[in-house]
Amino acid sequence: MFDVYACFYTGVLLLIVGSIATVIGPGVKDPIIRTINTEVPAIGISLILLTYNHTVALLTYIAASLIIMMILLRAVVRLEELEADV
Amino acid sequence: MVVPVPDVVSPVVVSLYIPAIFTGLLVGLIGLLGIAFQKRDIHVLILTDIVGLGMLIIVAAVGTDLAEALILPGLVVELAEILAISELLMSREMRKMDKKVDLIPVPLNLNMEIFETAPVFFAVILVAYGAFLSGFTGGAVAGAGILFYLISKIYRGVPSDIWEGISATAVVVWCLWLIGFLLFFAAPDYWLLGLFLAAFGLFIEVAYKAGLIGVIGREEFKRGKE
Repeated sequence: MFDVYACFYTGVLLLIVGSIATVIGPGVKDPIIRTINTEVPAIGISLILLTYNHTVALLTYIAASLIIMMILLRAVVRLEELEADV
Repeated sequence: MVVPVPDVVSPVVVSLYIPAIFTGLLVGLIGLLGIAFQKRDIHVLILTDIVGLGMLIIVAAVGTDLAEALILPGLVVELAEILAISELLMSREMRKMDKKVDLIPVPLNLNMEIFETAPVFFAVILVAYGAFLSGFTGGAVAGAGILFYLISKIYRGVPSDIWEGISATAVVVWCLWLIGFLLFFAAPDYWLLGLFLAAFGLFIEVAYKAGLIGVIGREEFKRGKE
């Protein structure tokens, strides 16, 4: 049995905890760790979209978050190869 | 004034509305606080992603088809925004340090034989499946196909002038979407034509936008060839 409220509040919990972890979590001085931490709220928002039955939005969000992850990691790696202090 | 909720909205969605809105506001606030206390640009870029999530929940909380339709352009805009800002950041640093790095830094040597034969096959399948889906989702799928093709061809030299033509076509196709949308109101009898114009205009537009990620790096390709 699919419990809507359990799904929704798990999503909310993951979202809030994940965004706090992204802002002040352990080891976030390293940009790669901060980027990987953004995956936790991404799972939370996927659960919330699932609760509302937004199928197309959920599928597009999964694809978009993958591309955003690739863009961010590319930016981090390129800037580190430059040895830039940003 | 209290606006009555229509009966068609399910009671579950109504009961989840207030918690969802507050979650969205809270997440947005956490992200913005993080940005306010952050001094390094790349960290600000990553935290922008979190603020975007807050926006998504507030839109999703309405729980109707309209909300779903509004999330899709929101996602595409967020993607384009992060892409543009990251490119800006990198080109500024490269100009400052007067150094060059690979366009797509990977730990492997990507000059493998499979990248000479497979991309055409994969790109054709992804574009065909994207055309079948149509709309935003189809555009994203087809765009991924085009992107995969371009990335695997980088090592053999990308024809940079083709991209200028593609970007011009994308703008023309955007007009198809507008015409399709207008047809819904001006001539409702032709709703099927309007629907298809809008769906496929949007499909080609989004596919080209995703495939055009390389356009921003065009100058770097030119510099690399010299």
